[in-house]
Amino acid sequence: MTTARAPLIRAEGLYYSYVGGTPEPVPALRGIDLRIHPGEYVAVVGANGSGKSTLLRHFNALLQPDAGNVWVHEWNTREAVHLRSIRSSVGMVFQVPDAQIVASTVEEDVAFGPENLGIEPEALQVRVREALDAVGLTGYEERASHALSAGQKQRLAIAAALAMHPRCILFDEATSVLDPQGRLQLLNTMQALCSQGLAVVTVTHDMTEAARAHRVVVLHNGEIAMQGDPRSVFAQENHLLALGLETPAPTHIAHRLAGRLPFSSQIPVTVEELADEVAGQLKLHGQIPQSNPMQPGGAYP
Amino acid sequence: MNRPSRPSEFELVGRVTIGQYLPTNSQVHQLDPRAKLLMVLLLAIGVVASDSLLGLAILLGGVALCLVSARIPLGYTLDGLRPALPFLLLLALLQILVIPARGPCLRTVWEWAFFSVTDRSLLAGAVLALRFVVMALGISLVSFSTSTTELTHGIEHLLRPMQTFGLPAHEAALVVNITIRFLPILAAEAERLLKAQASRGADFGPGRFGLLTRARKLLPLLVPLFLISLRRADQLVEAMEARCYLGGKGRTNLIQLRAHPRDHLAVLATSMVVALVVYLGSIDVEGLILSSILPCPT
Amino acid sequence: MSQPDTLISVQDLAHTYLRGTPFEVPSLRGVSLTVAAGRTVGLVGPTGSGKSTLLQHLNGLLRPQEGTVHVLGDSLTDPSINIRDIRQRVGLVFQNPEDQLFEPYAGDDVAFGPRALGLERDQVRERVRQAMEAVGLSFDLKDRLTSQLSQGERRRLALAGVLALEPQILVLDEPTAGLDPLGRRSLLDFLSSWASDAKRAIVLATHNMEDIALLSDDVYVLVAGKIVLSGPARTVLQNADVLLQSSLSLPVSVELSRQLRRRGLPVSTDSLTMDEATRQIEVLLRGDS
Repeated sequence: MTTARAPLIRAEGLYYSYVGGTPEPVPALRGIDLRIHPGEYVAVVGANGSGKSTLLRHFNALLQPDAGNVWVHEWNTREAVHLRSIRSSVGMVFQVPDAQIVASTVEEDVAFGPENLGIEPEALQVRVREALDAVGLTGYEERASHALSAGQKQRLAIAAALAMHPRCILFDEATSVLDPQGRLQLLNTMQALCSQGLAVVTVTHDMTEAARAHRVVVLHNGEIAMQGDPRSVFAQENHLLALGLETPAPTHIAHRLAGRLPFSSQIPVTVEELADEVAGQLKLHGQIPQSNPMQPGGAYP
Repeated sequence: MNRPSRPSEFELVGRVTIGQYLPTNSQVHQLDPRAKLLMVLLLAIGVVASDSLLGLAILLGGVALCLVSARIPLGYTLDGLRPALPFLLLLALLQILVIPARGPCLRTVWEWAFFSVTDRSLLAGAVLALRFVVMALGISLVSFSTSTTELTHGIEHLLRPMQTFGLPAHEAALVVNITIRFLPILAAEAERLLKAQASRGADFGPGRFGLLTRARKLLPLLVPLFLISLRRADQLVEAMEARCYLGGKGRTNLIQLRAHPRDHLAVLATSMVVALVVYLGSIDVEGLILSSILPCPT
Repeated sequence: MSQPDTLISVQDLAHTYLRGTPFEVPSLRGVSLTVAAGRTVGLVGPTGSGKSTLLQHLNGLLRPQEGTVHVLGDSLTDPSINIRDIRQRVGLVFQNPEDQLFEPYAGDDVAFGPRALGLERDQVRERVRQAMEAVGLSFDLKDRLTSQLSQGERRRLALAGVLALEPQILVLDEPTAGLDPLGRRSLLDFLSSWASDAKRAIVLATHNMEDIALLSDDVYVLVAGKIVLSGPARTVLQNADVLLQSSLSLPVSVELSRQLRRRGLPVSTDSLTMDEATRQIEVLLRGDS
């Protein structure tokens, strides 16, 4: 992933503590330096309490740093005058579907953001139509927003963010309440958006989800403990375990097989890749005929 | 086999009938929400300003007619009133027995100790009950035939003239919208909590206990419900801020309301009926009718 | 081999929400299910399949509209049974149970159940201690403010609240939803050890197939209010066609076996957990060196 272009979001020396509820402020972020580039797909992982969701909220200026700075494009998140620009450029999808729906119909919920920006009614119509189209909810305009399934509600939330023409969308554990089918659909949508040039930053517990990203950032106690492309991060299984995390199941199996399965290219992060590796090994040693029909191994399921 | 009469004592969500929208696409449904809101307002004026049983009966007939034309099942509507029935009966009884009626000609119907029931007090009791029923049905009619979207826009448009006096029209409308929309969501949470706490042995049963104990028994429901509501509110605020909500100023609207002649006609017709009803109250039409049939005790 | 006792028996259960209103929705259409002592029953199905409705019949929160439910010898269609007794013996843990905590102090919340049972103070204290320690919480936490505990601790506290009733059967709805990997592992370990008592049983409803693969002895697949497949876990979880058609995912090891077979490898479909899958591949690879 090229990083030649200027970063979309830049955090430098970011410190943040929560105040209230306890006698001492609780430090949540301790000196974070991080950059998000245009079109990049970044997964932020970490145990509960590592600061993931807090970090995310600095990227659209819902929170401001206690020390250090966060810039979105060249706007500093501390400056109130830039709030509108920042928040329309960086959208956010939250974990609880019901608690982010503002209007009672689908089209109005999508229009809510641009309405706040004072966009003209004719342009509003266009934006709503395009946003619903991008998430596969065309035809749902007049449906009651609360009557959608959880997966559809999350896609609605994405459409609502898209209608503001953002350069980046943040996802705060957006798949955690969804069933497997809903989760898969949402992840595919996120991937499609990224391939269209949108930056995606997602906070998740699901390592299989994190495996889809260009880059994985591992937080621990408010600091970045590890970062890199998924393979290099998941290769360090012991370190991850010490941080209270785990690797995707196929990677875990591959680690356990390490003695018998020297990885030909890179450590597998999906089931297909693992199957490819195993099949490849056995073919090498003549266990199976070469002419067997093989599924093309894909990077993403 | 003898089964328990009700499958579950916890099914709250569907029983809350106020705020439900039944899309039957009738004439009433197609009226502009502003017209419907104005009609309910006029209805309220009629209900409050008129003492006349006949007048209220006319209003009841009008509302019932609208419900029929809106293709709302009457039984379902009346079902929604059922929880309030005992309370209503109690109030009516109090009105009849305890509140002394006033008027030029009081004919005593029944007497016992210091309780006396006159024709006037009977009328007053009936008027009280009817006031409630008319208003409840009127509000139900509006909520059954108007989607929350329409309602919100209607309220916002009607409140817009007040913006010059500093009333935040959009915020007010948004509050109404979100409140209505979250009622079923919170009812579902309450149902879930009742079930969860009952599974732990909580007893929300009717009181064999004193008031304080009964209140304490509700804590396992009220405390978490309150906390969840606060949390949802926080989350919703975050979501709105994330989409650049900074109040109603400078906002545009996707949905534009357009009034048709039938809307004006509906409001006009309603005002005329209400005017008649208020007039009937002012001339004490019941007193006149009764006096023409029965003599007046001096 | 003696037949294990049947603790719960559900026969042709049907349920419609809001029956008799314009909004009525059928949620269960003739479901039959058996929970035997010493077994863990897994109930899988997509959202809206009726899992939660079915679970709520198991402790009497819902009474059967049609069909029968027998719990520990009592029939739930009989209006004269002691329902509170059933609710003590069948502990139902809802999804996100930490939402139901309401006492300011942690220990008091766990004590709620035992107190409702009318136990003496010493007994209550002992129950709270045992329950908290069973879920891995130190008894000292009883004096902590509930609001100050972490999410994982609060979930465990809520679970302790149900365990303090000393139920014979635990019924759980999506128990690991929202937990981080560490929290999930410790919860699964706990459930596994709790279930090792031959007189107890667990019913687990979830769409997390790994949890099911790890814990269940018997699995029922519920789709749109009907059981479309049931049987021993090993058999059901390897029926990829039915699982995928039911909008469910496959346990990783089952998916892995499929992928290996697609590449021409002689893989039997017997592995359920990751451990088994690993060993299976080891065997394959060992064959070649």
